[in-house]
Amino acid sequence: MSKVTYTDLNFIEGLKHNNDAVLRALYKKYYNLVLKYVVNNSGNSESAADIYQETLIVLYENVQKPGFELNCQLQTYIFSIAKRLWLKQLRKNGSTFRFKDDQENEVVDVTDEITDHLKKESDIDKMNASLEDLGEPCKTILKDFYVYKLNMDQISEKFGYTNSDNAKTQKYKCLQRLKRSFFED
Amino acid sequence: MRATDLFDNYLFGTISNQDKLDFEARLKSDTEFALAFEKHRTLIEGLNQHEQRLNIKQIFSTIHQQEFGKDAKIISIKEGFVKKHGKTVAVAASVAVIAVISTMTILSTGGYLLKQQSNAITDLKRDVNELKYSQDAIIEGISGLGSARPKKYAPANIEGTGFALNNKGYFITSLHMVKNADSVFVTNSVLERVSAKLVATDNALDIAIFKMENSEALEKTVYPFSFNNHHSEIGDKVFTIGYPRKDIVYGEGALSSLSGYNNDTTMFQVSIPVNPGNSGGPLMDEQGNIIGVIRGKLSNAEGTGFAVKSDLLKQVIDSLKDETLKTDLVLNTKKSSLKGLKRSEQIKKMQPFVFNIMVYKK
Repeated sequence: MSKVTYTDLNFIEGLKHNNDAVLRALYKKYYNLVLKYVVNNSGNSESAADIYQETLIVLYENVQKPGFELNCQLQTYIFSIAKRLWLKQLRKNGSTFRFKDDQENEVVDVTDEITDHLKKESDIDKMNASLEDLGEPCKTILKDFYVYKLNMDQISEKFGYTNSDNAKTQKYKCLQRLKRSFFED
Repeated sequence: MRATDLFDNYLFGTISNQDKLDFEARLKSDTEFALAFEKHRTLIEGLNQHEQRLNIKQIFSTIHQQEFGKDAKIISIKEGFVKKHGKTVAVAASVAVIAVISTMTILSTGGYLLKQQSNAITDLKRDVNELKYSQDAIIEGISGLGSARPKKYAPANIEGTGFALNNKGYFITSLHMVKNADSVFVTNSVLERVSAKLVATDNALDIAIFKMENSEALEKTVYPFSFNNHHSEIGDKVFTIGYPRKDIVYGEGALSSLSGYNNDTTMFQVSIPVNPGNSGGPLMDEQGNIIGVIRGKLSNAEGTGFAVKSDLLKQVIDSLKDETLKTDLVLNTKKSSLKGLKRSEQIKKMQPFVFNIMVYKK
């Protein structure tokens, strides 16, 4: 079996289009890099997996931005993000770690990426809390309508409403509740 | 027309050119209107962001489990649970210890578990298929019910078990199996692949209620289960049937504890060897009463299964009647028609009402 090798550009394209095989290859390629770094700096394999996944989410979300351009090697970019996220985590835990600054891996400045990510993270947490308060069927109705773009007939059918007007009224109530909860403080 | 409908039409681009110009003019002149629209847009963006994040998280953690995971550690117990049902967990520290020792594995086939399994059974596939044909023939012969001939369909992403709540097409299964499903089909010896739609879910209990499109094949048959459960006691003999494979499999054991994983009082612990695919199956006592819904097992110990108590299931179904979802769903609380029958007879009568659930995802 021949092994497919991907270039950095292939990975970026794969991330843009959610290509499963490319995402998997990307995941496998840099996991050990981040694992090694985290484990060498007071972490374990579980925390390494968390940091690595968060790193790839930062990458993924940046790649989706229009005009994204990679100005260094993908490996450097991934390592730089992982390092920042891990240091932040260590600080948050208040651990008095002795940080072995490794000279092995080059880093680039990813301050903007991290700042954007933290802002987004808190937005998503807030939405998550509001959605949990909201519960079902509201949560799914709103996602079906606003994310998956189902129309009112389909929603009415899926949730067993007698007609699409009832479904529409329900959707409206759900949206109002979400609005109240999301903007309340 | 409500303002939100107007906002939606503008955002979705389902608005005439003239209305669009009017809309934009109003945004400039009416600050209150502009503010309301901004809020609306923020909310919709937030919803999309939230969903996208969930999806990509899921993708990466699945890849991780499949490529680097040692065992499938999926805990389907949510935090909100504690508040709702008063779980008797003492301190957070002890929870952490328990979680390290044993994690609960959900029992749908899919993700890592499926991969593991398919590796192990790849070579046997053909034999298994042949076996299936002959067994189907036997089951048909015994039950004399309809004609379920195996046909070629696209393989489902996830398969598991579900069982009927009445003979009008309502059934229940595990929510973790059908989450984000695109479509759900049920099949068994009397039903040839019937599609089903979601009626309700309960996140905390991990249950989902569906209604099948066509339940004619069941309406003629006596509904075998009862929800009139007396008080279940530790040591009671219990059993389940389900679809850990394409064929129905029987498992029996005893009620080993009145609480489940992490002392969760919404669940029973049972000593039945359950496997991926058993999720969503009925937990029965000897008299043919439904006492629970199979939910999961300990990932590192055989013969330790967990089932959601049917009392709570009844509460959920009762609460549905208060909501906008009007259902004609009434549970049988009269004596089960299975009472006093030999086990093999009971199973024969149950089979048409226990389903192999096939879940397809986008």
